[in-house]
Amino acid sequence: MSDFIALRHITKTFPPNVIALDDVSVSFETGEIHAVVGENGAGKSTLMKVLYGLLRADRGEIALHGRPVQFSSANDAIAAGIGMVHQEILLIPEYTVWQNVVLGAEPRTRWGALDSRRAREAVRAKIAAFGFNLDPDAPVGQISIAARQKVEILKLLYRDVSVLILDEPTAVLTPLEVPQLFEELRRLRAGGKTILFISHHLDEVLELSDRVTVLRRGRKVDTVAAGSTSKAELARMMVGRDVLFAGRPAVHAPGEVVFRAEGVSARDDKHISRLREVTLEVRAGEIVGIAGVEGNGQFELVNVIIGLIQPAAGALSVNGHDLTHASILERRRHIAFVAQDRSRMGASLSASIAENAIMTHHRLNETFARRRWRLDMQQAAAFATRVREQFAVAMSRPDQPFRALSGGNQQKVILGRELLLDRPFLLLDQPTRGLDVGSTEYVREQMLRQRDAGRAILLISSDLEELFSLADRIAVMHRGEIVADIPTAHTSLEQVGYWMLQGREPAPA
Amino acid sequence: MRIAIGLLNGMLAGATPVLLAALGGAFTFYAGVFNIAMEGMLLVGAFCAALGSFFSGSWVVGVVCAIAGALGLSLLFILFAIVLKTDEFVTGIALNLFAAGATTYLLRQLFGVRGAFTDAGIQAIPRVDIPIVAQAPLVGEVFSGQNLIVYVAALAVLGCAWLIFRTPFGLRLRAAGYNAPSLESSGVRPAHVRVAALLLCGVLCGLGGAFLSLGYVRLFAEGMSAGRGWIALAAVILVNGNPWGIALITLLFGLADGMGLFAQGVGVPAQFTGMAPYIATLIALFVYARRKQGQRVGQA
Repeated sequence: MSDFIALRHITKTFPPNVIALDDVSVSFETGEIHAVVGENGAGKSTLMKVLYGLLRADRGEIALHGRPVQFSSANDAIAAGIGMVHQEILLIPEYTVWQNVVLGAEPRTRWGALDSRRAREAVRAKIAAFGFNLDPDAPVGQISIAARQKVEILKLLYRDVSVLILDEPTAVLTPLEVPQLFEELRRLRAGGKTILFISHHLDEVLELSDRVTVLRRGRKVDTVAAGSTSKAELARMMVGRDVLFAGRPAVHAPGEVVFRAEGVSARDDKHISRLREVTLEVRAGEIVGIAGVEGNGQFELVNVIIGLIQPAAGALSVNGHDLTHASILERRRHIAFVAQDRSRMGASLSASIAENAIMTHHRLNETFARRRWRLDMQQAAAFATRVREQFAVAMSRPDQPFRALSGGNQQKVILGRELLLDRPFLLLDQPTRGLDVGSTEYVREQMLRQRDAGRAILLISSDLEELFSLADRIAVMHRGEIVADIPTAHTSLEQVGYWMLQGREPAPA
Repeated sequence: MRIAIGLLNGMLAGATPVLLAALGGAFTFYAGVFNIAMEGMLLVGAFCAALGSFFSGSWVVGVVCAIAGALGLSLLFILFAIVLKTDEFVTGIALNLFAAGATTYLLRQLFGVRGAFTDAGIQAIPRVDIPIVAQAPLVGEVFSGQNLIVYVAALAVLGCAWLIFRTPFGLRLRAAGYNAPSLESSGVRPAHVRVAALLLCGVLCGLGGAFLSLGYVRLFAEGMSAGRGWIALAAVILVNGNPWGIALITLLFGLADGMGLFAQGVGVPAQFTGMAPYIATLIALFVYARRKQGQRVGQA
């Protein structure tokens, strides 16, 4: 192995004075899978953007095969053999796989027309060479997210890059699609490609990579061989202190039933049944986790509970209050809710932090109104400050736009808002999705604290390990049905995984 | 039979300028530019064609001037909407108003006339006889002896369809409209594609404008484009830019135009017959919307 790419003393400052990268030196070798890990804001993406030519470093140099290079655009980088797959997939759904792959580098016929026969053949050959399971003629709009990601990779392979930079490639995948991606990445490594892999999922990093570089607040902590480190060590390097991963078991038996769903069914707007006679109870002082492959009714369950979808049948209640046909506002007198999508449902990115902090409160708490109809902005700012202090939000002023906050801090504001509602029932939909290790730990701690305070919590999560470390009971959804509802202590990851895929059939012994 | 042939000839004459403008609009439509300036481009094209032909005595110079004039408007659009990133809709409105004002003003300043300018010195674009076809009965009377621009427009349909669907340029053009960031990440600047689309639109609208003032008449009248650029826009949106669809829609428009002229001949007031093409457009929109609705119900 040889030093293929060397980044030396890279420093990048965003005006006025945010130091994104501080004297970072890393080298990447030919044919390795090299993970770059760090919390949100640690500088992972910035470092990769500097390498890829999307950002220019203030100081430092990039050497390729020992020679200094400076890319001024992604095109330069690709021409030099370095390609990047961004987190958000940028493809044209109206085009087929091969059209997307050749776009911008099309083979031409003698008459200057698009040589679709040659293009299709070239794409087919690449698919075969790297063992991707893709149909070159499939319209991209009709293939899965995982397949689209493959198309993005294929686009770079078609341009003959030797280095692939993947920015959190697993963030858009379901748990079942991850192993396949990893297998393909290993195959690419076997084919001599170098893979730089940005992630904050430490399990994935350890499983896939050869070496790991840890960044913390713009500085490189260390580069270590994946084989000689552990999850705990990496987490310590990332956060700078020990991190709690395991949940604490419930100390007392759960109390009365708080939330009850009985025989709830729902259909989508095409009249397809999405939820089938779901019966579920959550007791005080209990976390019930919903497991399931995404798209098996979790979305509809959450929306039925919060009132965005009217159930076709069944009843919902919290502490005996029938909420089946209640308005959303009425439900919010009993339910605290953290939505899955922070930027669309959980908050308004362009509204201020204070406005986001008082949403729902401003309708249900009279002290926010002056003369009944005017909003008391001083009260709102004071409330935002209270959220900041109680939930350790890093922000400067409450009148800043919400989008100025990092993902972790946004989630803290939302969580704080909901917890300060002080409701008996908490509905948490993927509350740690997209958060870094530190924020995830914080949110999980809050959940356990709420449970110990006697609240009933329904937690929907696609992270099975999260469910196993937090939930007292796990309910598995499959095709809109609850196919298993079992105390966490009486089941295993494998068994739940089996139910998620196969439904109600008993797991083989 | 005379009537039918007259109607068909009227249809082709009515369709040609709209067809050319709509083909231009198709490029900008696919490129993701909300371009409503075809009306202004037609008008400037028509004015410049008359101007060029009058001063040079050559229809070729007239056509070249028409293209140059419409391209000038394209360049203004590019300057504002693409370089300075102003709103495309507002830019389009401004350019259309500018075109109307400027041509009227120049007409009065240069020729000292109001309304319409006509002069024996203006040379029209010639008709073209197609050798063998011309001898064929009936067919020859429709397919031969048409104005040069009519044939150009017919070839333009083929050329545009080929460019849009069969070439790398077309793949990039449509990509710019479908998802510009994706095109950008593929190493092609969407702005460049849009500039190319607007320039093509200028060329086609220039030809359309030249046909208006040097085709069957030899004059320039204020507001001569008479909403054809808007009809072209409607046609583009109606068929999502497809050149074959555009050809069909604009022929229908031309037919309505021809029937209007025919009705005028039998005593229907001109104000009513002039409405025919616009009514036809509204009917087409209605039919289209109903069909789309039907599809939606069918899917559910």
